[in-house]
Amino acid sequence: MPGSIPAFDINDRPVVLGPRVSAPRVGLFRILRSGAGRVGILLTCGLLAVALLAGRIAPADPFAPVGPPLSSPTLVHPMGTDDLGRDLLSGVAHGTRTSLLLALIVSVLTGFIGVMVGALAAWEGGRVDDALMRVTEFVQVVPRFFLAVIVIALFGPGLDRLVLLLALTSWPWIARVVRAEVLSLTQREFVEAARSLGAGRSRVLFREVLPNALPPVVVAVSLNAASVILIEAGLSFLGLGDPDVVSLGYLANNAQRFLRVAWWMAAFPGAMIALAVLGLNLLGDGLNEVLNPRGAF
Amino acid sequence: MRRRLMTVLAVLLFQAVWSAASGPAAGQDGPVRGGTLVVAIVSDPGHLNPAITTSGATHAASELLYNGLLGRDERGDPVPELAESWQVEQDGAVYRFRLRDGVKWHDGTPFTASDVKFTFEEVLLKFHARTRASMGGLLAGVEAPDDRTVVFRFKQPYAPLLYQLDATEAPIIARHVYQGTDPQTNPANINPIGTGPFKFGSYTKGTEIRLVRNPAYFKPGLPYADGLVMRIIPDLSVQVLALENGEVDFLWELPGPLQSRIKGDSRFQTARTGYHPGGSNCIMTMSFNLERPILKELRVRQAVAQALDRQTFLSQILFGDGKVAAAPISSEIPWAHAAGLSMPRPDRAEAEKLLDGVGWKKEGDGPRTARGVSGIADGTRLSIDFLHFPTFTKYGELVRQQLGAVGIGVVLKTLEPAVFAPTVFKDRNFDSNVISYCNGPDPEIGVRRMYHSSQIGPAPFTNAAAYRNPRVDALFDEASRSVERDRRSRLYRQIQEIAVQDLPYFWLVETVSTRAWVARCSGFKAWTGLFAEGAFCRR
Amino acid sequence: MPSRYLLRRLAHVLPTVAGLLVLNFCIIHLAPGDPAIALGGEHGDAAYYTFLRARFGLDRPLPEQLLTYITNVLRGDLGTSFVHGRSVVAVIGERLPATLLLVSTALVLSSVAGIGLGALAARDGRRAADVSINAVALLGYAVPSFWLGQMVLVGLAVGTGLFPVQGMTDARNPQTGFSYLLDVFHHLALPVLVLAANEVALTTRLVRTGLIEALGTDYVRAARAKGLPEGMVIRHALRNVMLPVITVIGSRAGMFLSGAVLVEVVFAWPGLGRLLLSSLLARDYPILLGMFLLISLGVILANLITDLAYAWLDPRIRYQ
Repeated sequence: MPGSIPAFDINDRPVVLGPRVSAPRVGLFRILRSGAGRVGILLTCGLLAVALLAGRIAPADPFAPVGPPLSSPTLVHPMGTDDLGRDLLSGVAHGTRTSLLLALIVSVLTGFIGVMVGALAAWEGGRVDDALMRVTEFVQVVPRFFLAVIVIALFGPGLDRLVLLLALTSWPWIARVVRAEVLSLTQREFVEAARSLGAGRSRVLFREVLPNALPPVVVAVSLNAASVILIEAGLSFLGLGDPDVVSLGYLANNAQRFLRVAWWMAAFPGAMIALAVLGLNLLGDGLNEVLNPRGAF
Repeated sequence: MRRRLMTVLAVLLFQAVWSAASGPAAGQDGPVRGGTLVVAIVSDPGHLNPAITTSGATHAASELLYNGLLGRDERGDPVPELAESWQVEQDGAVYRFRLRDGVKWHDGTPFTASDVKFTFEEVLLKFHARTRASMGGLLAGVEAPDDRTVVFRFKQPYAPLLYQLDATEAPIIARHVYQGTDPQTNPANINPIGTGPFKFGSYTKGTEIRLVRNPAYFKPGLPYADGLVMRIIPDLSVQVLALENGEVDFLWELPGPLQSRIKGDSRFQTARTGYHPGGSNCIMTMSFNLERPILKELRVRQAVAQALDRQTFLSQILFGDGKVAAAPISSEIPWAHAAGLSMPRPDRAEAEKLLDGVGWKKEGDGPRTARGVSGIADGTRLSIDFLHFPTFTKYGELVRQQLGAVGIGVVLKTLEPAVFAPTVFKDRNFDSNVISYCNGPDPEIGVRRMYHSSQIGPAPFTNAAAYRNPRVDALFDEASRSVERDRRSRLYRQIQEIAVQDLPYFWLVETVSTRAWVARCSGFKAWTGLFAEGAFCRR
Repeated sequence: MPSRYLLRRLAHVLPTVAGLLVLNFCIIHLAPGDPAIALGGEHGDAAYYTFLRARFGLDRPLPEQLLTYITNVLRGDLGTSFVHGRSVVAVIGERLPATLLLVSTALVLSSVAGIGLGALAARDGRRAADVSINAVALLGYAVPSFWLGQMVLVGLAVGTGLFPVQGMTDARNPQTGFSYLLDVFHHLALPVLVLAANEVALTTRLVRTGLIEALGTDYVRAARAKGLPEGMVIRHALRNVMLPVITVIGSRAGMFLSGAVLVEVVFAWPGLGRLLLSSLLARDYPILLGMFLLISLGVILANLITDLAYAWLDPRIRYQ
């Protein structure tokens, strides 16, 4: 996982070098106090804007030729054109949309699976916990990138496959975080209080425990999103990307052969990838600072 | 006046002394002995036995270690190599070869006719796909009546034999090394013994293969270089970087985008050829599945052909490195290529008229709709799929663009070779595709399989269109049996005229390779696998 | 270190490895397509491919192939490569040293650099240094490694002519002895730089945060009050931070290997990365199975070593 990874001790508890904020709910606007958080929010929102407005910024079909091939940036084509005469600005705008969408879907799925597994394991305990932790360990050990390379090379490229693959292999970390959080929280006073007031087990779980376990998950998910974008780019570089969809990785891959005759083909998509990853990371950092002001995570 | 005379004399004297001191080795024309040539190859060959595989990687790396019975000249015509002379008897049913005297294997053992017999019977006909597919059924036997004579007997006259005997199509390997063993796992595959201009030095997997000069090579004086290194560099752009950086002397393939850069640089030389150790004289060909209702109609195929502007394929995908295909047989086989045929010309208006005529009407945006097309329900959209290897994605994109402009919807499908082949040839689950059909050194090897009705079947890269024309079948059968080249020319010309009428395929572009090397080296032969036999480098 | 703990950890490993084997086998053999065509090329006739399939045992039913494979693996036999004609162990073994060299050098470099940079960033009253170090480190991570590699190639290697653009050794003049080592390191420089650049960010940030925390504790304040030099204070604080840093480095082993694949391709480094790609194209099943197994084992091993180091460093764990 990218960014600041929590270290896990032997009991699967995150290693925290200091006490944590213990308020049940945290106002997320406090993120704006953090320098990193500000930059992160700015970048991420900027990218989201590009993604959402792709249709307006670049109404041209990114696959359609609109100008002379391999022409350098001009007023008409601010990012130049590629080898088939396609406008690179359109490509980058649509590509950003694809990459962000991919990251979003994978993050949501990963978060969902991770939270379910982690919460269930911690809440039920005993055999269920053991079994789920075995499964978690197994999935955690599987090298994600290599699995993606092998599966896609053998079964063919496709963003849908990639989404499934990444979602099914990225959740263990989140599951462990959630489990550790739930385990620690169940010993807290306010849970005891809720239970003594007669609240049912699942009610306590959903209304008291999970919302407090979520902050670290949010951080983890935003960091994971960044790594998804990088993995997609890496796979496209190896020729395993989806050729029907314009993504930042597809553009970067296409640009390889033309590196020395058309620098803009590689520069802009590469910069966009870096900005996206940077933005998401800083966002995660900001969230981290807000939610755990004194902790390594 | 005297001073000027003295200056002139001094200059002349200086020049005379200079050229005398430098000796013949530094003369502008004479070859220079010694030095190590560094060649870039794209992938690790895995092993160095070219007789058990048609893999381009293995052949590129290993052909300098071996020879064939014959070699090839610049035009692709056979020249003597291990065989010094030959006779064609019984109108091409019997071929008799007289082998050179005094040829030795790299370990000193004399080369004899039994090596040839063994290589064909035990190795090539079992493991070399092209030899097996072309000769396998027709060869009655190979005889070695004495050490210097080899006789090929065929069940019926077989015309192309002389084009299939070079180191690419039929390299001769050593009987005394391979007899009684499994050719695919024999350790000699990574420690080879051949007859070629270079001997094996070392093979560092994943990095390089080092060859050393064969001092006992049967062509006197050759090779000039002391050693040759094949460096594995998978990325073509990095190969060019290595060439420019002085780390490499010769490239098999100069990538399109960088061609003008290298060609314009006086430090380098280039040469174009249709020959490639993995498959020569290739044409990027669009196939139509004639069994599908939409493409059954000739006018639709004609419309497709006229909607495509093949010049853009040449300029945008190949960067001018190649030719628009002027005929179904490659121009790199000049005696079989039919010049002056009337191929469909790009004409969008005409294409749209044809489609309208068939009944495909333009209704709003997007693909056309069927209104009164025979065999197709009204309201169906004109949409076809287009299958291609991942490396040919650009072809797909251009086809989609250009056919879309006349209202033909194209859905692209990328498939790896291992999946492409069963989908197209076994399941026949496609409308159209693009295939690099390599004609080979002789049309009998690579062209027949595209058009002959007997070649419709699960074997990959055969008759994808499922084209059936008894006249064409008969013409091919006759061409295969006639040894006279002029006669074969006329027969192939007739075949090509019919093919252009029937359009089972549409021939897009001929692909060539551009070799590149540093200008201080010369003597490279781009058209054969023995490319560095006569190569040398000046300091 | 109690051996009971060690045994417990080892016992966890076995079912994981077994599961990975089966998973890998199923993925590879259930993939669509005909491996005989990838193996034999495009020019053969139907009989040729049937011949190839029988030769490589590809026509047997899947469960039978799986069983054969597992029994072979237990005997240490990972099979014979289709393409190379030699044992998988031999083929992988030939490429392993190059990748290990690349990965371990990058690991050491990024760890040392990360610790150093993190310490620098955490020192009191150096806000500018902190922000800039953080930014540069993050940038190194955010930029895709293949893109960075290509920029470095074109800019540094060809631009200055100081570095070679490909391979592990000089092709024209092979060196021996000490000059061989120098030659290898000359070729290693750029790939290691690119691979390490990707990973430095993580260590830097972890060390920085941990140090900031540790430097705020009471005993450090006391040490400073007593007049202990800053360097020594930082060193003491560092020791407390090492625990999570080591854990992280170990668990990142998988990412290092993936990064290595991309860097090896860009710099034509003769390691396992390229073997993986060429074997995928050629559908060389035995190599693919062997490589995936090997990589997973590597990750498991890295985790194991990390856990053991952790246990050794943290006395609390030892006596559980």
